[in-house]
Amino acid sequence: MKRILLGWIVISCSLLIAFILALSIGPVWISFLDMSETDKLILFSLRLPRSLSAFFVGGGLALAGAIFQGLFRNPLADSYLLGISSGASLGAAAAIVLGLASPLANFTAVSLFSFLGALSALCLVFYFGRKNGEFSVFRLLLAGLGVGLFFSSIVAVFLLMAQEELKALLFFFLGGFATSSWDTTWVSLACVPIGVLVACTFARELNVLLLGEETATSSGVRAGRIQALYAILAAFLTSVSVSLAGLIGFVGLIVPHIIRIIFGADHRTLFPLTFFAGGVFLVLCDTIARIVMEPSELPVGIVTSLVGVPLFLYLLCKETSDYGL
Amino acid sequence: MGKKTVIHIQDLFFSYEENPVLQQLDFSIQEGDLLALVGPNGSGKTTLLKILLGILSPKAGRVLLDNKPLQSYAPKERAKHIAYVSQQPALNFPLTAFELVALGRYPHSGRFKAAKPDAAAVNEALKLTETIHLRERKFSTLSGGEKQKVLISRALAQSARILLLDEPTLHLDLYHQIQILKILKELCVERSAIVVAVLHELNLVSLYADKVAMLRRGIIHAFGPVREVLNETNIKEVFGVAMAAREESESGARYFIPRDRLA
Repeated sequence: MKRILLGWIVISCSLLIAFILALSIGPVWISFLDMSETDKLILFSLRLPRSLSAFFVGGGLALAGAIFQGLFRNPLADSYLLGISSGASLGAAAAIVLGLASPLANFTAVSLFSFLGALSALCLVFYFGRKNGEFSVFRLLLAGLGVGLFFSSIVAVFLLMAQEELKALLFFFLGGFATSSWDTTWVSLACVPIGVLVACTFARELNVLLLGEETATSSGVRAGRIQALYAILAAFLTSVSVSLAGLIGFVGLIVPHIIRIIFGADHRTLFPLTFFAGGVFLVLCDTIARIVMEPSELPVGIVTSLVGVPLFLYLLCKETSDYGL
Repeated sequence: MGKKTVIHIQDLFFSYEENPVLQQLDFSIQEGDLLALVGPNGSGKTTLLKILLGILSPKAGRVLLDNKPLQSYAPKERAKHIAYVSQQPALNFPLTAFELVALGRYPHSGRFKAAKPDAAAVNEALKLTETIHLRERKFSTLSGGEKQKVLISRALAQSARILLLDEPTLHLDLYHQIQILKILKELCVERSAIVVAVLHELNLVSLYADKVAMLRRGIIHAFGPVREVLNETNIKEVFGVAMAAREESESGARYFIPRDRLA
C-alpha cells in the first residue's frame, strides 16, 4: 500500500514538472511569472491544448495497452502491435479520402470512422489470433502484425491517390500534435476520462480473467460480457488517440509494463497509474519532439519508437521463456 | 448411510454440433464424496466438468444442485457452491500467491465493499494447502507442485462445498501427486466437501477416491464405489489395456500393473 501511495506522489510530481516543461519550452521561452500578450496567446491557444492532447492521448494509449495485455493475457500486446491503431488510421483516412469528413471541419465524424476502423481490426485479430479457443502469445502478435501491415498499406495507397487531402493523410501516418488546437483537444478531454472510469470500474473482473475464461466463469464472472466490454473500450481509446494524433507506437507497451513491474498486476491500481504515467510520458516525448530539431519538428511517434523498440526487444529476449514463445 | 445428495445428473445429453459427446448420463453425488472421473482421452470427462460448472448447458436432461436446476443459479450464486481448478493456466503477470488466491473471493465481494474479512479467508485457504509461507512469492516463480497447491487454495477461498478439478496431478512429481490427493481427501472427510476430479493415475484413484465414474465414448461405462468399479474387466473394456489387480497384504489396498510386465 505504501508503495502505491509513493507511486501516486511520484506521478503527481512528474505530471506537474512535465506540464511546466511542455508549456514553457519552445522556440519562445515562456516564464509564467512575466508573460507578454504574445506569450499568453502562445501558451493558451497553442501549447496548452497541445500538451493536454498529448496527455490524454498518451494516457489513453497506455491504458488501451494495459487493457489489451490483460484481455489477451499477453504482456506484449498493445494497440500498435495488434494492428488496432492501423485500423483506426485506415478508418479516419478512408473517411477523409471518400470525402465523408474533413479533419478540421468535421472532427467528430473522423473520430467515428476511426473507431469503426479500430473495431474491424479488432475483429480480424480476434478471428485470426485465436486457435482452439485460446490466444497464444505468438499467434496473436503475428495476426496483429499482419492486420496492421495490411491496413497501413491501404492507407499508403490512399496517400498516393490523394491530392489536396495529402497533408491530412500524412498526419495519420506520422503522428504528432503539431496541429492540435482546442477544436480537437476537447474530444480527448471528453472521451478519455470516461474510458478511464469504465476501465477502473470492472478491473476486478479483469483480474479474475487473468486465470482464464473458464476459471473466471466458474468464479461467477460473466466472462464474455467483460471481454467484449474491454475490447470495445480499448478500441475506443485507441481510435480517439489515433484521430487526434495519428499512429504513435509503443506507449501502450512500455508504460503498463513498467508500472506492472513496480506496482504489481492488480488492474485496480494498474489502470489509473498507467493512465497518468502514459500521459506524462507522451507530454515529455512531445516536448522532445518539438525542440530537438528546431525549427522543424520530429513526429512524436519517432521519439516513442526510439525509446520503445529497444525496450520491446529487451522484453522479447528476457521474458519469452516465461511466455512459452 | 444418510448422506445428503447434492448433485443429481438426470439423463444428461450433450453434443458439439452433430457429434454426441455425452449421453444417458444418470448419477448423483453425495456430500463427502471424492469422485474420480476416469476414462481415455476424448471420452467426455472435461465436457462433463464444464457442464457441472455451468460453462456448457446440457442439450437434454438436467443437472440439479440442491434440487434446483444448475442453470437457474446466477453466476455469482453458483460460484458460492461450485469452485473449479483448471489445468495449470499460463500466467504471464506478476501476481503474488496471496493476490492470486484472493481472486477466489470474487463471488463474496462487492465492488465497493471493504476487503478486510477477505484476507482472513485467503490466509485460511493458503493454510489448508500448506502454502501460507509462499504468500508473498510471485506465482510464476513457484514450482509446479506449489503452483497447483496455490491454485487449489484459490478455489478453496471461494468457500464452495463442491470442488471440480481437471487433472490436478498432471505434470507433478510423485510427492506432490500424493500431497494433492491427501488435501482433497481431507476436505471430503473433515468438511464434507464434494470433490470431483479428472484423474489418470488409477493406483491413486484406487487409494484415495470414494467413487469412480468410468467414461467411455461419452457414456458412463461404470459408476459406483471404487472397490466395485475399478477392476480388471472394466479397465480392459474402457482403456483397452490388460491390467492385473493385486492386493497389498496388510492394508488390502488394491493396485494395478500392466499384465505384459508380469513374468
